[in-house]
Amino acid sequence: MIKVVHYINQFYAGIGGEEKADFKPEVREGVVGPGMGLNGLLKKEDMEIVATVICGDSYFNENLEEAKVEILDMVKKYSPDIFIAGPAFNAGRYGVACGAIAKEVSEKLNIPVLTAMYVENPGVDIYKKYLYIVETRNSAVGMRDALPKIANLAVKLAKGLELGTPAVEGFIERGIRKNFFAAERGSKRAVDMLIKKLKGEEFVTEFKMPVFDRVDPMPPVVDITKAKIALVTSGGTVPKGNTDHIESSNASKFGKYDIEGVMDLTAETYETAHGGYDPTYANIDSDRVLPVDVLRKMEKEGKIGSLHRYFYTTVGNGTAVASAKKFGEAIAKELLADGVTAVILTST
Amino acid sequence: MDLEIQQRIKDLTEKHGAENIVVVIGGAEAESAGLSAETVCAGDPTFAGPLAGIALGLAVYHMVEPEIKDECDAAIYDEQCGMMEMVLDVDAIIEEVSKVRKEFSKF
Repeated sequence: MIKVVHYINQFYAGIGGEEKADFKPEVREGVVGPGMGLNGLLKKEDMEIVATVICGDSYFNENLEEAKVEILDMVKKYSPDIFIAGPAFNAGRYGVACGAIAKEVSEKLNIPVLTAMYVENPGVDIYKKYLYIVETRNSAVGMRDALPKIANLAVKLAKGLELGTPAVEGFIERGIRKNFFAAERGSKRAVDMLIKKLKGEEFVTEFKMPVFDRVDPMPPVVDITKAKIALVTSGGTVPKGNTDHIESSNASKFGKYDIEGVMDLTAETYETAHGGYDPTYANIDSDRVLPVDVLRKMEKEGKIGSLHRYFYTTVGNGTAVASAKKFGEAIAKELLADGVTAVILTST
Repeated sequence: MDLEIQQRIKDLTEKHGAENIVVVIGGAEAESAGLSAETVCAGDPTFAGPLAGIALGLAVYHMVEPEIKDECDAAIYDEQCGMMEMVLDVDAIIEEVSKVRKEFSKF
């Protein structure tokens, strides 16, 4: 028999809602809550939930490290063959808890794990690349549909059976690419797709584009001759030597450099850390990426108010959108505090 | 169906016997009405409440179903429910609730 340990929160254990969210981890033999329904499905496949770990959502998220250790100990005692957390639907803290503990169990106990939640649950973005997350509806109304999907995937994972595509198995894409032989060659598939598109029929793309949020442009600068302008770039311009070691791709940080008195960026003083384009021309004259020389001239001529004393730089090459967003927020905060009224963003 | 109501139905059923209880639902939407019906017949489908795993098998109807509506004084029904009946998807509600009743109700 394949042994399963199931993780749920205080609500699904019938302990209580928000007022009981500080409930400390507890393990009970057998099934609790949704495990009842799940176990019925698993038993047909010679699998059984041997224990259920319950933890309050607030407790887990506020005591992350301790909670992980405590729960891992509880799970370990039952030496399960597979670990299932949730489903969490659209409950944010529950989803994050399910993701975090499933990842921990997977890494420390080296057994298959899975969880389930609504696609917009914050737990999805954080954990989808590490875990199989079965996609559910956004509330417990979806329990009936979710449990058979969870059971089906659990059976396959526990028995080491080959998985189909995310769409077939019902889990959220993890960004894993697998080679396979398609029945028809690429050109034919592309033309078929185009014809469908022209006819207004539905088609499935083979190359999904990421979904970016849209940022509304700011209103125009009222008087550019009085504006304090800052330069910010993702083109990787840094003082020669790149002493802060900004990565040439997938940057984990940004740099802030003083350009007081700097009239021109020269080959001796600046270079680019960017690894995604031919740096020859940027290294000969970094003003091509970060136009300090031109702005100094405009400053002198009174065409702009002034150039901000610091420029900010990072490398956009393969850098995660989440990191870029974080850098952007931090930089914007400083610029606002420094009274900067306009920013010129240059890329490559 | 919220947890307190589940508990209340469970208590009432223990007190009076399942054969003596009829649940009348007033949910405004077919899916939620169906879920409430399922909860008191087959057990809480979300497995979160006191009726998780407990199949009471109660008789369950929605207020707009003819079995209940026809028992009411037409004038009072019209006054109390007439307006809602106009805006609800009555057919969908009846289909959903009666399906659950036929499948799970023991009475």
